[in-house]
Amino acid sequence: MSNVIEAPAVPVASAGRKPDAKREVNGFSALAHIALFVWALATAGPLIWVLLSSFKNNTEIFLGQPFALPESFSFETYVNAWNTAHVGRYFLNSVFVVTVSTAGTMLFGSMAAYVLARYKFFGNRFLYYLFVSGLAFPTFMALVPLFFILKGFGLINTFTGLILVYIAYSLPFTVFFLAAFFKTLPVEIEEAATVDGASHTRKFFQIMVPMAKSGLVSITIFNIVGQWNQYLLPLAIMQGAGADSKWVLTQGIANISTSAGYQAQWSTLFAALTLSILPMIVVYAIFQRQIQAGLTAGAVK
Amino acid sequence: MRHGKYPFIIGFLAVPVALYVTFVVAAYLQTFQLALTDWSGLGPITYVGFDNFVTMWNDELFWRSVRHNLVLLLALPIITIAVALVFAFLLNVGGGTKGGITRGVWGSKFYRVIFFFPQLLALAIVAVIFGRVFSPDESGLINGLLPAGWGPLLFLADERYALACILAVLVWQAIGFYVVLFSAGMGSIPQEIYEAAALDGASRVTLFFRVTVPLLWGTIQVAWVYLGIAAFDAFALVNIMTVERGGPDGATSVLAMMIYRNAFEFSQAGYASALGVSLFILTLAFAALTLRVTRRDAVEL
Amino acid sequence: MTEVFAQPELDRRTLLRRAAAVGLLATPAASMLSACVSGGSDEAPEQAEGEKSDTNPLGVDPKAPLEVIIFNGGLGTKYATDVHIPSYKKMYPEATVNFSETTEIGKVVQPRINAGDPPDMVNNAGAGLMDMAAIVKAGQAQDLTDLFNAPSLDIAGKTVKDTLVPGAYEQGLFDNKPYVLNYAFTVYGLWYNAALFQKNNWTLPKTWSEFTALLDQIKAAGIVPFAYAGANAPYYMYLAILTSAAKIGGTELLTALDENADGAWTAEPIKQAAAAWAEIGAKYSDRKFAGLRHTEVQLQQNQDRVAFYPCGSWLENEQAKDTPKGFEYAVIPLPSVTGADKLPQTAIYAAAGEMYYASSRGKNPRGGMEYLRHMLGKANAAEFTKLTKVLTVVQGAADGLTVSPGLTSGNELVKAAGSDYFGYRWPDLYKKLDVECQAATNELMFEGGTADAFCARMQKAADAL
Repeated sequence: MSNVIEAPAVPVASAGRKPDAKREVNGFSALAHIALFVWALATAGPLIWVLLSSFKNNTEIFLGQPFALPESFSFETYVNAWNTAHVGRYFLNSVFVVTVSTAGTMLFGSMAAYVLARYKFFGNRFLYYLFVSGLAFPTFMALVPLFFILKGFGLINTFTGLILVYIAYSLPFTVFFLAAFFKTLPVEIEEAATVDGASHTRKFFQIMVPMAKSGLVSITIFNIVGQWNQYLLPLAIMQGAGADSKWVLTQGIANISTSAGYQAQWSTLFAALTLSILPMIVVYAIFQRQIQAGLTAGAVK
Repeated sequence: MRHGKYPFIIGFLAVPVALYVTFVVAAYLQTFQLALTDWSGLGPITYVGFDNFVTMWNDELFWRSVRHNLVLLLALPIITIAVALVFAFLLNVGGGTKGGITRGVWGSKFYRVIFFFPQLLALAIVAVIFGRVFSPDESGLINGLLPAGWGPLLFLADERYALACILAVLVWQAIGFYVVLFSAGMGSIPQEIYEAAALDGASRVTLFFRVTVPLLWGTIQVAWVYLGIAAFDAFALVNIMTVERGGPDGATSVLAMMIYRNAFEFSQAGYASALGVSLFILTLAFAALTLRVTRRDAVEL
Repeated sequence: MTEVFAQPELDRRTLLRRAAAVGLLATPAASMLSACVSGGSDEAPEQAEGEKSDTNPLGVDPKAPLEVIIFNGGLGTKYATDVHIPSYKKMYPEATVNFSETTEIGKVVQPRINAGDPPDMVNNAGAGLMDMAAIVKAGQAQDLTDLFNAPSLDIAGKTVKDTLVPGAYEQGLFDNKPYVLNYAFTVYGLWYNAALFQKNNWTLPKTWSEFTALLDQIKAAGIVPFAYAGANAPYYMYLAILTSAAKIGGTELLTALDENADGAWTAEPIKQAAAAWAEIGAKYSDRKFAGLRHTEVQLQQNQDRVAFYPCGSWLENEQAKDTPKGFEYAVIPLPSVTGADKLPQTAIYAAAGEMYYASSRGKNPRGGMEYLRHMLGKANAAEFTKLTKVLTVVQGAADGLTVSPGLTSGNELVKAAGSDYFGYRWPDLYKKLDVECQAATNELMFEGGTADAFCARMQKAADAL
């Protein structure tokens, strides 16, 4: 603590406060560490459980101690998941679809959010609430009508259709969140740019987007995760002859898990899950740095 | 300054709005229409006026489901936001001030990655995992840890605690994202404010309540609305985790679960749509109410 | 990789259609709706038809493509791709058979029905299956009368109907017309580990007092005497309750349930059966089973932690991988509740299940029916049993096959029962009642519910239909 500066101001109070503060720091830190550590266990535990279970047989999974080591380590389940359940192909499908659709979501979502947050025009509130109201409906209510709409466009069982739908269904949250975020950004820089004669489009891409980096990064991650885990939409859209070669990962895993309910291949299911979660963790760990950068960028005025 | 404003607004909004209206709004509008029919989900449609809404009004399970949704609506945001704020604070500011820069507790980078894990898991698999956590016999994670003579606790099989179990899982999954969200917000709070507060000798508890929370008010509001909307859903967990899907004996039934069963199992798509409309109205009412009550403008930075 | 990223080619028509659709964005939803869900009421699409002959009794167009969709669950899809489809293609080499599989039949097929483009043959099964009564009511299922009257594929001189076990045909009737083929034949009873019982010298019960006496013995040995999975499979239990009821009072009372007759649920035998089973639940089971799934309970039985488990004959195959060496599946009929039961103790619940139907509004309904005829061929049915270890409704198709101990035990059950086997259909006919009965059963067995409350609750729900 910088008591060098503090000292001259209120010397008496400062002298009395110092030991107090010290004790508070220690107790506080200890408590903080315990709380954080317990929560870390609570969040990491299930993942470790999934990993361990991928090596266990059903009896060990459902009747044994949850964190006991498996009787034997064999990668057979992983080979099964990769080969017979085609996890590899579905994984690539998911990567492709989610990459394109997240990019699209962020581009269109931030454009719409920016305009709705910072420009006054007739119909602004209407459009804003139209977007936000999309959050109020469960997705599965839309499945049947959605099928017809896509059929009308000839987009059933195409990646294009799936990507467009992913983008459309991610817009409510993206617009809702980013509009709130754009509102909090300072107006001064934007005004300065306007005085300098920058066009609206340039202002958005060269000034607002960099300033909104932290918000954009957060929402990008949220969208990647959301679209990666989406199950109902691809189920309704990716169907028809030969659809199983275009399935995304969640469909592939659901396929194993439904079979698991009958044929009891739980370890293969957990192996497939491990295969699908690991890359996400790696991606997130990398993005974590970006978030730090984003936060710093957001903090600098 | 006004030059080119409208072409710009239209240019930015055209694609997102077109996508959204085509794939989301159009699909949902059909649901509104179907709410006035006795459609089974197949075959011809007859309009029956507001019959479905009358049935709904007299449906005991509907009111129970609404009640459960309301319980979740209150509890989920309060608990999640409180815990996430504390964690975010610890991770960003909890380590005290060193060299004039506030920082997170030791290991905060590590925690930030771990805390996000639950977000990476599809809800379906979260449900499988917590099925083991809450298992009502000795092999269950919690029952296995209980000292002899205490258990086994029935958790999901006990009408009194089943909904609380669902709530716990929802909180568990949500916290990670809101830690990231609030961290992003805290990152954009200028260092000088913390420094000034630290100079005044503010403790970290004071910092939290006097500086962090008010400055994050806008973000908290966003989180509140979003969590509230998530509370209206809770479908996937109820569907996969609970006894009799919504039980025991309706103790965990929520609106989305009712909609799903009516639409896909009971061949009452018309009634399901009516339930969907009521869910939509409830969610919007909640969102409007929240935004009105909490309208306390975000502190301008 | 290239395959993954390949985009469908945009032909001119698609482009035009898309352009038109974009222009229609603002169209009120009303017109869209009527355009969308008209599949059921409008005229059927052009349907393929060929010359009828002795080898082609259903008049299949030998060149018409056929689309088949199979639920990928406990039975897998191998029996379709490796047996039934090749059999169809062998007879009609010029036809292409488009095969697809799904784990969610309803969500995949329902939109296609509404779009007027249903697959020709649908395996309506699994947790996400469609309400068969609604499909029939919407005129989407083909009347299978022609199929059942057609000659069998490989049993000379018999019609398809003649080759089926009794009751199988009736199981597919809606308003006295057959619309669906129930292909698998399942036997229900109390399953146990024969090795465990032998080791302990436990004798199998025939009467209720023998049953409770044995359960006392088992309990004393530290094993849970009886359990079912309350979390997701209470219907195994209500099936046992209603089986006991039918044995007490005759099968008419099950028919009354199917017809939703007045007071069907408050019949005295149902009350008696419910009371007898409620006592078993209270004294010989454990409340924790209310929160366990079938997988978990079955694994516990494999570890000899549970003695009796009420289930159907798929159990042995389902547990094949987890059954330890020395565990020997066997099954007995439910013990008689009273000394004056109407049906003998050997009477069992046995029924045809696993639905397959041809779409009446598909492009090739005759092909769909013909596909079902191939499924019902004796050789093809035997192959099905070999692949899935599940019996079919084709009489004697599994004769001479070496079956597992559990299936042998099940077969013995069927033989002992003679003509005294029965089934009901109300859970398929009234889905809401099924849901209600699952909750009511858990209440009865685990929450200290009474038989009177059980019957009253069910009657109230039935009256509300």
